[in-house]
Amino acid sequence: MFAILSCVALGKVCAFYAPLLPGSLYGLMLFTLTLHVRIFDADRIKDSVVWGVKHMGVCFVPAGVGIMNHFDLIRQFGITIVMITFITTFILLTIVGLHYQRYANDQDENDDEGSHVS
Amino acid sequence: MLAELLNHHLLSSIFAVVATIALFQFVAVFQRKLNAIWLQPMLVSILVIMSFLLWQNISFDHYFASSWFLNALLEPAVVALGFPLYQHLSTITKQWKSILLVLCIGAFIAIVTSFVVTMLLIGDYAIAVALALKSVTTPIAIAIAGQLDGNTAITAFAIILAGFFGALVGPPWLKFINVNSPKAQGLAIGAASHAIGTATVSNISYEHAAYSSLALIVSAVITATFSPFIINFLVTLL
Repeated sequence: MFAILSCVALGKVCAFYAPLLPGSLYGLMLFTLTLHVRIFDADRIKDSVVWGVKHMGVCFVPAGVGIMNHFDLIRQFGITIVMITFITTFILLTIVGLHYQRYANDQDENDDEGSHVS
Repeated sequence: MLAELLNHHLLSSIFAVVATIALFQFVAVFQRKLNAIWLQPMLVSILVIMSFLLWQNISFDHYFASSWFLNALLEPAVVALGFPLYQHLSTITKQWKSILLVLCIGAFIAIVTSFVVTMLLIGDYAIAVALALKSVTTPIAIAIAGQLDGNTAITAFAIILAGFFGALVGPPWLKFINVNSPKAQGLAIGAASHAIGTATVSNISYEHAAYSSLALIVSAVITATFSPFIINFLVTLL
């Protein structure tokens, strides 16, 4: 917990001096980095972090309820915005997914030819 | 009676947080028992809370102020995603070229398709900018939308929509089109549905969590860097 909070704080400092990214993303990268260079012991904090990642969805609920503040927008532009969002998200999912899957298949074949049943 | 109780600040804080967590856990248990993917705990909790607030005539701002505790956990939660990323760092560094390429293509397509389609259908620049940015994480998208004179309220709304849509439909759809590798699924959902999608797929496996967080960060950086140029170019083109 101390490890995460110190990364949150450091991330905020980074965001203040280089406002390209929000603090939480700097924090994420710092956390990965500090684990990698073993400033923090990964085995010791593993259990609490696994638990946190599994249940992090609940933290997004209040922000999501915020949709109710935008009801007038939905009424104004009707279903068009919703449809555009759905369709473009769909296209994006499909393209990135298919693209990387093809790459992953190639990798599998190169790595262990024949030994891998897919 | 209920509304009166909720007016008390401390009580309403405790009530809002406990009720939100309890509801979320209840739906999660239910989802596991019924084995129903569509019963997404995040989405169901949001719908239930929204109807409750509307029914009791409680403003969103009041609920949001009361649930500050959950919101304060949002940043540490995102930072915690660094852990799965750390565990897969060695495989990721081996494939960084292809990952970067896929995510660049993804960010480019996300911006261009949304911007052009919105310009054609609605014809409003501020809305088109807002929708072009909907696949990156909220703080970044809002900041860029502000810089480019986009409509930030619509940005916020479209981000939530894109997040939930990808989180809900993403996994079954990707399976359907034979995208079965956890890496590919993670990248696709992280690129399309940012932190909401990442939070959802983190439940499936650690590999999903790692690749989705990676896509979340890289897409955000790419979009923050290139979207002003792409959008300016599209404006002169249209």
